[in-house]
Parts: sequence; C-alpha cells; structure tokens
Amino acid sequence: MSNSIPAFVPVEAIDRRSMIRRLALAITSIGVLDLDAAQHVHTETAAEKAKGPYKVKAFQPAEFKTLQRLAEIIVPKDDVSGSGLDAGAPEFIDVLSSQNEALADIFHGGLAWLDAEMRKRYQTTFGNATPEQQTAILDVLVKAGNVEAARRTEELVYEKSATYKDFSGYTVHRPQDLGPGIVFFDWVRKMTVDAFYTSAIGMKDLGYKGNGAYSKYVVPNDAMEYAMKRSPFA
Amino acid sequence: MAQNPRNLETFDAVVVGSGAGGGTAVQVLIAKGMRVALLEAGPMLDVKTEFKEHKWPYNYDHRGAEEGGAAYFGKGKSFGFFSTTSGGWQLEGEPYTVGEGSQFQWFRSRILGGRTNHYGRMSFRFAEYDFKPYDKDGLGFNWPISYQDIAPYYDKAEEFIGVCGTQENVASCPDGKFHSAPPPKVHEMLVKKSCDKLGIICIANRRAVITKPLNGRAPCHYCGQCGRGCLTASAYSSSQVQVFPAMKTGRLKVLDLAMAREVIMDANGKAKGILYIDKRTRTEKTIYAKAVILAASACESTRILLNSKTKEFPNGLGNGSGLLGRYLMDTVGFGLSGYVPALEGMPRYDTDGYGGAHLFMPWWLWDKHNKLDFPRGYHIEIGGGYGMPGIGSYHGAARRLGYGAEMKKKIREGYGASIGFAGRGEMIPNIHSYCELDPTVVDKWGIPVLRFHFKWTDYEWKQARHMEKTFADIITTMGGRVSGLSAAQREADGISIPGTIIHEVGGARMGTSNKNSVLNGYCQAHDVKNLFVMDGASFVSNPDKNPTLTINALAWRACDYMADEMRKGNV
Repeated sequence: MSNSIPAFVPVEAIDRRSMIRRLALAITSIGVLDLDAAQHVHTETAAEKAKGPYKVKAFQPAEFKTLQRLAEIIVPKDDVSGSGLDAGAPEFIDVLSSQNEALADIFHGGLAWLDAEMRKRYQTTFGNATPEQQTAILDVLVKAGNVEAARRTEELVYEKSATYKDFSGYTVHRPQDLGPGIVFFDWVRKMTVDAFYTSAIGMKDLGYKGNGAYSKYVVPNDAMEYAMKRSPFA
Repeated sequence: MAQNPRNLETFDAVVVGSGAGGGTAVQVLIAKGMRVALLEAGPMLDVKTEFKEHKWPYNYDHRGAEEGGAAYFGKGKSFGFFSTTSGGWQLEGEPYTVGEGSQFQWFRSRILGGRTNHYGRMSFRFAEYDFKPYDKDGLGFNWPISYQDIAPYYDKAEEFIGVCGTQENVASCPDGKFHSAPPPKVHEMLVKKSCDKLGIICIANRRAVITKPLNGRAPCHYCGQCGRGCLTASAYSSSQVQVFPAMKTGRLKVLDLAMAREVIMDANGKAKGILYIDKRTRTEKTIYAKAVILAASACESTRILLNSKTKEFPNGLGNGSGLLGRYLMDTVGFGLSGYVPALEGMPRYDTDGYGGAHLFMPWWLWDKHNKLDFPRGYHIEIGGGYGMPGIGSYHGAARRLGYGAEMKKKIREGYGASIGFAGRGEMIPNIHSYCELDPTVVDKWGIPVLRFHFKWTDYEWKQARHMEKTFADIITTMGGRVSGLSAAQREADGISIPGTIIHEVGGARMGTSNKNSVLNGYCQAHDVKNLFVMDGASFVSNPDKNPTLTINALAWRACDYMADEMRKGNV
C-alpha cells in the first residue's frame, strides 16, 4: 500500500451526463467501460498480436494443428460469428498448458490417444483424416460420454440418497476402451467453449450488452412486451 | 513484551476485525472523537489491484481460469477470478477441523473490509417477531432485546451505508430508510406475475447499494459487478465506507496482518488489550486499550474467547454459562433452476442492473404456520438474465449438446432464458451445532484452531422441501420447466452444506444473564464490562434475513452504549 489512504472514485469526479467517459478517466487502469470501446481495445490487442505469428509453447506443430482443427469443429463458424479457432481457443489451451504440467499432460496424452484411435479405425492421424472421419470419432466419444455421465449420475444419487441405500444390483455397459478419449474430449471441448464465449467474438455472438456504466437503469419496452406476449400472462 | 508502561500507547478502544461489525465500530467510535486501533488479520486493501470491476475475461490470457488453468482443477478463487474474496473455504496454514459425522465449511476473508468487499449486500431488517421466536412457536430462544430497541439503529445504519428498497408494509420484512430501487428486469416481472398468481409476495429487493450520492460516494452505475468490489463505493463495503474515512481523521491506527490470539486481562478482571501475532515477522505483540471489541466474525471471535483462558474462566473468557461456541447457526439453503421458453429469442438488453436481482420474495406465510409442517420461514432470491459469460458458463450446455453448429445455436437461443431461485431460510438452533477448540491442532501462528460440529434437523429438511415445491410451482406457472436435476437428485442434494451460505452466526449469544448467555443485549460480556463482541457471534437466532445489516445496527447500538458507560466510568 502507498502512503496515501486509498479511497474510492468520489461523486465529484463523475458528471452524470457523460458518466462512461468520466468514469473511464477517473478510474485509471480500467479504461474500458462500454462494449464498443472494449471491442475497440480488443481489436487493437488482436492487431498487436497479429504483428507476429503466435509462438506455440507447449505443443508440437502437429499437436497444435489438431487443437486448431478441433476448435473449428467444436465451435464452428456460422452466419452469426466466427469459430473457436478465430476466438483463440488453441492459444488459450497452449498458454495454460505451458504454465501447468498436469494440464499439458492431459492434452499431450489425449492428443496421442486420439491419433492412436484414428490409426486403428482409419489408418491415419486425426489431422490427416477426412472431415467425415474427424466428426465420426467425436460423435462416438460424445455418445460414449453421455452413457458414462448417466451412469455416474445414478451412482451419485444412489450414494447420497437414503432412499436408495439398499440398492445394489444394476449394471450399465461401460465403454472402457473409450474412457481416455471421453476424458480428453471433455477437456478440449470445455476449454474451447470457454475460450470462445469469453472472447469478444463470443460475447457478441450471445449478444451480451452489459459491463457498462449508466446514470439510470432502464428495461426496454420491446423486451418486456416480447416476453409477456409469449408467457401464460399474455 | 514491552515493559515500560509510560511508553505504551493506550487507545480508547481496540477493534479486532474490519468487516461489517468492526467497520461500524470504527466509524461510530471515531465520530465520537475516540482514538481507536484496528487489527486486521489480512493485508491492507488496495482497491486498484484487488478490485477487477469492468475487466473483461479477454483482458487476461487465462480468461479468468487463472495461472495454469487453476480454476479447472478446483484451485482457483472460491467465487471465480474476478470476485474480490481474498480468502476462501480453506486458508493455507490456517486450518479448521470438523468433527466426525458433521459437515461444515467456513469461509474467511483476510483483507481490510473482510467479506463486505464482495458480499451479496442483501439488507433486510429482522421482523418484530424475529426477536421473540420462542414466544411464537416454543422453539429456540428469545433475544434479550426487541425490534423497538434496534429500530433506531437500523435507521442509522441504512442511512449511513445506503440501502435501496421500497415501502411495502410487509410484517416479515419491515421497511427502512431506502434509496429508490431500480425497476424490475423482464424475467423478474414474469416471476412477479407467477408469484401474484400463487399468492407469494414479490417486492423490490433491498441491497446496500446507493442510487443517489451519499457522503461523497457516487450513485450506482449499474454494472452489476458488486462482487468484484466497487471502485466508486456505490455498493457498501466497510473498508471504503467506514474504515478509509476514519483513517483520514488521524485517530485510527490500522494494524494489518495482525492475527489476534487472545484478550489480555488485568488483575481486576478487566480486559486490557489484545495479544496478537504480527504475521510479517511472526512475532507475538500486544496492544492496549480501555475497551476491547471483538468483531473478527462469529466463529473467529468465539475462537479468541475460547483461547483467552484465565484462572477465573478456565474454559474461555466470559464462558461462565458454558455456552461459548454453542448454538452455532447457518442459513438453510436450497436452489432450483428452470428454463423459460417465453424468454427465448428476446431482444437483448443489459440485465446487469445494480447487481443481484431487483426483486425478491420475503417470507409470506408468517401467520400460516399451523398449515405448514415446519417452523420459521425463508425468503427467495432470484437469478437470471444475460450474465457476462465466463469460465465454466457453458460446460453443462456443451455436455448436454455435444459439439458443433447445433450446440452453438442452442447455447445462443438459450442465453438468458434460464432462471434460478435460491431459498434462504431460518434454522432452529440446536445442541448438535457448535464449535470448540480442537485439542490437538494449531494453525501456523501457533493458535489452537476451531473444530466444528453441525447437524440439520427435520425442521430444516422439511423447510427445504417446501422451497423445492414452491420454486417448481413458480417456474411452471410462468410456463417454464424445471431443469437440471432429477427429483431423486434433488432429494439427495436437498439442502445446503452447513456453513456454505456464509451466514454463520451465534457462538457467543446475548441473553438476560450470565447463566444463559455470554453477552448482554448491548453485546457486552456479562462478566467483563469493557469487553464487547460486535459481530454475528451475539445472534440468538438466525432469521431468514441476511445477517450483515443487523450486525451493522447491533454494533452501532453497542458503541453508543459503550461510549455512555465509559463517560459514566462503568467501562
């Protein structure tokens, strides 16, 4: 702490008519208060980064290529917004993996498993497979993952619930061979989804309009009317 | 220990803890012209580095997952990277233990201002009946004070910290001195319509946020990020609203990284100061004052008293009644969410608002208990709207939806169409819920730690089932469907883990004599006249009102009383 007593941004510093601008000036180190300004800043950052090619830290070129392809498949580009790749998902995974060996192991191992499985099924790696082959393996993993999740949920309920204390006799087919793939896909999917929706591209895709500063809070009539008309209270 | 009394700086009061109770004590005593020392176990707060208001996830390479993706391994901050908790369920080197067969989680903040920097800021007055619960249903215990005793201090506290709300005349939740409240959001209007149909009262929320200037603080600018710490102090925190202004008088000495160990007593049975560990040097130090005020949080203050053993009080200071640590309470919590098709595809707007919901439902069946299978009540908090996406926001959706274009479309369509309800109910204090000193464990400062024991009883479980049914009714009445858990899962997960609502109170409760309590109605130890406990420890019951506002009011009242008694020479 510095010698001066820390405080808050006082009301005198804020002209209610231009709150956003003044707040931004008054609160140094924030600087970003509305979505447009934020996106502007983000574009600048992106442009700065685009000056040189991204230097991959934790992965071999082929591994990183697979992550890039996965990011495109998991969150694809559509007519609303770009893809997980555009939103920087592979870089996000790379940065965190470079800081955490346990995370890097999950991805190194998972990517190796994926290629091994692809060789067994299609005699090629994930990166060199056709788009149909790539989505086919992911579909298999999703399906197996759902079965596994359902089994886990049941177990958890049985374990926690007094009602089922005596329960002992159920069996669910466990797709053991695919276990490592299910775990890996869950990791790559959740981190790709996180990277996408926490990016400016993802925020815009959803239409998040917050993180602003206003002197008055207003709920627009069109939104209110839209929901009321569609509700049982119309 | 320093031995030359002439060189010792003696304060009018030493306050341990800088949260809602300690902050209020500092504010009130400094305004009376006193010289005060304040001990905080954490560091001084620097809002510029600690508060992350208005930052975007993409301002950080880790997007909020923290260095190395710690959040993915359950090692991130307790309420996410952006929140300003500065503490957590576990603190390194400062453990607590839990007795066999019990579950309890203890959230501690270690920073100036404590949990008030990030808390939910729900600010509800206790009802008149809340002070005499035993008279109402024969369970628990009455407070030694009445609503009329504390009402003037609710006024003062609300006027000073600033609380939004509306005048409603609802018996379970008395009106106060309010700033105007912001209008309800769309999903909240649907909830209100639903509640109207079901006979549930639904009114403007009451939160410690200002909507007009107050003591140099700017009104809320509706970013909804109170939990990150508020740079304009439009949301109340004891650090910004009470302690920092008090520091400017020059009469407040703040000792940060000072971990109180015990109350020091003199030969005449009066408290004379605090023995604490200076965390910077790991050395034991003392500070002296005419009065000692513990406000370290309900359990931490209880711990200090338990650790302050004297010949007269071998089981902890002021513990003649044997009740120190007993009748620990938390709030009964249960949550349920739903999906509301009416909200699908709605024109997007900013739902951040003043942080938290703009409406809430106070307990509405206070005179209908003969028709219910549980005593006491609960209030309902509402969640929903277009929140800022963060790490983990769509893990569940992705697992449900697979991957690809269809997943992306469904997430977009469902954005803002989910709604959540959280019940916050009153438990009956019971003999199985208490804390004591663990006989074998000390923290890294050498201070014996607390061991918790806790049990919910049928009273709480049945209340949680009533919450579940009510929330499902509200969701279906608005055309929604209950989402997520199956009925069996809800049954299994049907009540919050004790401690996790972070409304832990009791432990040094107030009462009419030193036979039935530790403190009197002024938060003063029955047996040590210059010793006060001004946090949640004094609570006799834990009504379905979040405790902070009542801690503010009780502390203010206690300080007025203490100053009077000092003038009269009684303290």
